[in-house]
Amino acid sequence: MIKVENLCKSFKIYQKPPGLKGSLKALFKRDYFYKNALDNVSLQVEPGEILGLVGANGAGKTTLVKILSGIIYPTSGEVSVLGYNPWKRDNRYRKQLSLIMGQKAQLWWDLPAFDSFLLLKEIYQISDKNFYKNIDYLSNSLNISHQMKTPVRKLSLGERMKVELMATLLHDPKVIFLDEPTIGLDLMSQRAVRSFLAQYRKEKNPIIILTSHYMQDIEELCRRIALIKNGSIIYDGPIDKIHKDYSQFQSINFEVLDSDIGRIQNFLIQKFPENEKEFIDNKIKLRLKKELVGEATKELLEHFSIDNLSINQIDISKVIENYLQHDQT
Amino acid sequence: MLRYLKLYGYFLRFSFTKALEFRFDFTFRIFMDLAYHLSNIFIFKIIFSHTTNLAGWTEEQAIVFIASYILCDGLYMSFFANNCWWFPVFINKGELDYYLTRPVSPLFFLSLREFAANSFINLLFAIGIFTWAITNYSSPFSISQLLAYIFLIINGVVIYYILHMLFYLPVFWTQSPRGFEGLLYGLDSIMKYPDKIQNLLFRYLFTLLIPLNLIISFPAKLFFGEDVIYNGVLLASWTIVFWSFFLWIWSKALKQYSSASS
Repeated sequence: MIKVENLCKSFKIYQKPPGLKGSLKALFKRDYFYKNALDNVSLQVEPGEILGLVGANGAGKTTLVKILSGIIYPTSGEVSVLGYNPWKRDNRYRKQLSLIMGQKAQLWWDLPAFDSFLLLKEIYQISDKNFYKNIDYLSNSLNISHQMKTPVRKLSLGERMKVELMATLLHDPKVIFLDEPTIGLDLMSQRAVRSFLAQYRKEKNPIIILTSHYMQDIEELCRRIALIKNGSIIYDGPIDKIHKDYSQFQSINFEVLDSDIGRIQNFLIQKFPENEKEFIDNKIKLRLKKELVGEATKELLEHFSIDNLSINQIDISKVIENYLQHDQT
Repeated sequence: MLRYLKLYGYFLRFSFTKALEFRFDFTFRIFMDLAYHLSNIFIFKIIFSHTTNLAGWTEEQAIVFIASYILCDGLYMSFFANNCWWFPVFINKGELDYYLTRPVSPLFFLSLREFAANSFINLLFAIGIFTWAITNYSSPFSISQLLAYIFLIINGVVIYYILHMLFYLPVFWTQSPRGFEGLLYGLDSIMKYPDKIQNLLFRYLFTLLIPLNLIISFPAKLFFGEDVIYNGVLLASWTIVFWSFFLWIWSKALKQYSSASS
């Protein structure tokens, strides 16, 4: 189990005025300030659960993952992962831990992935039997068994992520931190990684914390999400609940004649000043409460020549984006 | 211990596999290092063409000394240099992250992961030069004395590595991409000459504070039988003090590590 209580982390950062003059000035006097990367974070994650950590860049997701995996020290607060304090870096904990960072490679670049796996076998002291059993299981599940002997630098980005995932899971970790595991992957590779992770969780029951900017990753893999904004958790609960709370909204999507673009913008701004609107060329999206949608559609049809009209539910990524922007609790 | 040896076996295998892919680098390095070794011997040959005695040492002893330096340099270049070179870059770019999550010493990994296989031939040359210098040394010595001397040179290599690391470790606090390595390069040539040519102040400075003299000068003095007890105790105790200080700073540095944003 992961238990985090009142976790805070602040970084000392300095600001430098631009240009050479600024650099010279900063040589003698620096303006330091403290940035709260994490501010009183508390949460709990049970075995078999995948918690989705969602937030904008710089919100504190990776900082939290780095503290939980023992890479950096917190400023204050309590953390227990599988009963260990991560930053004490106990080898018994590190043997059960796994971390993958989508933007950082861990395998030896010029060598085939299998060579790196052999090194990991020694590092984690994996028995021959378990090692070959896991290699078979992981390479077949990820459909990558044909690339074990190819140098990592020659693999495609998708293949590289698959072998990175293999490296992460070879020692049967009980707690797994996945920091943007699908970043930069094409849609097919993203899907392959997602379905593998779903299957892996079902079969092995580890604790998983997943951060991703791809809402599909979160939606498909996590029943529970934690939204982080400016280092604080502003929502921690079922993904369904946050979606349901917002399902009272719908969006009207339509197109107008090019000659009407200016007129409809003024019309919508006057008529629906509080509602969210999106204008891309002649394609328009208007978000409204469900009960207002019928009346608004009628008015639009009366005043404008409307084409390709559709009324849609707000998708989860939009819901979360709004939640993070407006900080509704 | 056995596990670490096995891991080092993998590092060696990986390093050779990588190095053999870059043939030009492999051959170029041989000529470059050989020229460097010969120039070091040449300087002592020039000095001894003007005198028969350098701070109490004969030409034979000076040649053993410089051959020991060449051996020490060869060992450092092969085992540690590449790793030390990349060390501050790793810290600056937050590449330490994965090393800290593995159940092995991150210091072991960072210090030894890459064996400079392209300077391996030069290590063989260095061993050859050392063997030549020792066989030309006419004073009597036993095999155990020679083995002890080689052990002390290896100890010197470790001190040299720690010195480098101590100049790099401030990166954890300053975040500068290269640490204070420039300072060390300036001092590097000190260890190429016997400590006895230094005045008393500098001799203390380069023995106790920046212990460049412990790397070659002290082992050589012990091999030549000069003040064996005094020099031996000083070398052993200062090596332990220095190691402990390094490990203490290293643990502080890891606490300070702030990684880099993703």
